[in-house]
Amino acid sequence: MTSFFRLDPEVYARHKDEVLRLSNSFQTIDARGCSDREIAERLGLDERTVTEIRVVAERDVYPLDEWERAIEFKRKACTEWSAAALKRPDLKEP
Amino acid sequence: MSELPTGATKTLKASALKAGASVVGIADASAFDAHAPKGHRPDDLLPGARTVVVVGGAQPRAGDWVATSPWLLSTMGTTERIQGVGRRLAQAIESEFGYYALFVPPGTASGDAPFLSLMLAAELAGLGSRSLAGPILNREHGFMYWSAVITTAPLQVDPPEAVPACPAPSCREMWEREGTTPCLRVCPLDAGGCLSGRLEGARAVRTGYDAARCNTRVHTHWVGGFQKVLEETLNEPDRDKRKMLVYGDFMTRTLWAITYSSTNIAQCFECMRVCPAAHGLREMR
Repeated sequence: MTSFFRLDPEVYARHKDEVLRLSNSFQTIDARGCSDREIAERLGLDERTVTEIRVVAERDVYPLDEWERAIEFKRKACTEWSAAALKRPDLKEP
Repeated sequence: MSELPTGATKTLKASALKAGASVVGIADASAFDAHAPKGHRPDDLLPGARTVVVVGGAQPRAGDWVATSPWLLSTMGTTERIQGVGRRLAQAIESEFGYYALFVPPGTASGDAPFLSLMLAAELAGLGSRSLAGPILNREHGFMYWSAVITTAPLQVDPPEAVPACPAPSCREMWEREGTTPCLRVCPLDAGGCLSGRLEGARAVRTGYDAARCNTRVHTHWVGGFQKVLEETLNEPDRDKRKMLVYGDFMTRTLWAITYSSTNIAQCFECMRVCPAAHGLREMR
């Protein structure tokens, strides 16, 4: 019987930036994102650990405030588009 | 294994269109090798895979695009309609042709990583090409939802799309005039957004994409949002303040979204809303 996999917070802190950089989390023109297995080979970690680091880091990279900014961004962008597409400047936020 | 009947590809495509797909194409399974890492290729999911059937459709309507609340478009998401078409095709391939068929799950394999990139599948099946903003755009229909079936059937494959929908002519003019495009202007990476890129003649080149920030916008009230507020709540020692977080609008809306499942998964469309190639901008009354 195996025990529940728990990622060591120290391992996470040590590798999270590098794992995110190599993954698809931030994409650049010159490099395709690596799979967890490829990242594991590069960093000398096992694949399960990399998967866990990546999954936690994907959620950890931005604070809760960024979610609030997302709401504001969408509300503003959507209203501005409606005003432009429908030719109704009155719909635009003041 | 039985021989594939003559005209099988044509029959399958007709079934897809009849079932509600707007477009259907077929990719060579081995074509993924040049683009996707091992573990995310058709043969990794279904050993012996030879082709990938891709259907697209269920795109938002004109009224959805001009709605004045971003929440309307997210709750009108119709991805399940095209997933139903994919499931039917998988069933048809096995029952009518006698070949293995694996419906590609629309969810994620781990974290934000998909089992197989549906966008790559659509591109390789000749149904569209990657836009500067990211989504695959079909020349006729623009932005669409995708579903795919991996199969061992040796169906006839389609060539990639020759001329991309992005950049649209008006975007090229805007680039010449202002050095930006509608999608780059609405969500710029260097000003707290997700996208960076440029136009090189008739070619769109995306230079950067912040998938993690995009996730906060596309999945604001989804798994990520739930986890963030849950963490904040667990860290909050004051009982009354905890209640404000748990009963508040963010958490409530998030729980509605999660429990209504995929009808509410996609929650940000702003780069596509402003895209002239994404939804035609046909004049409506």
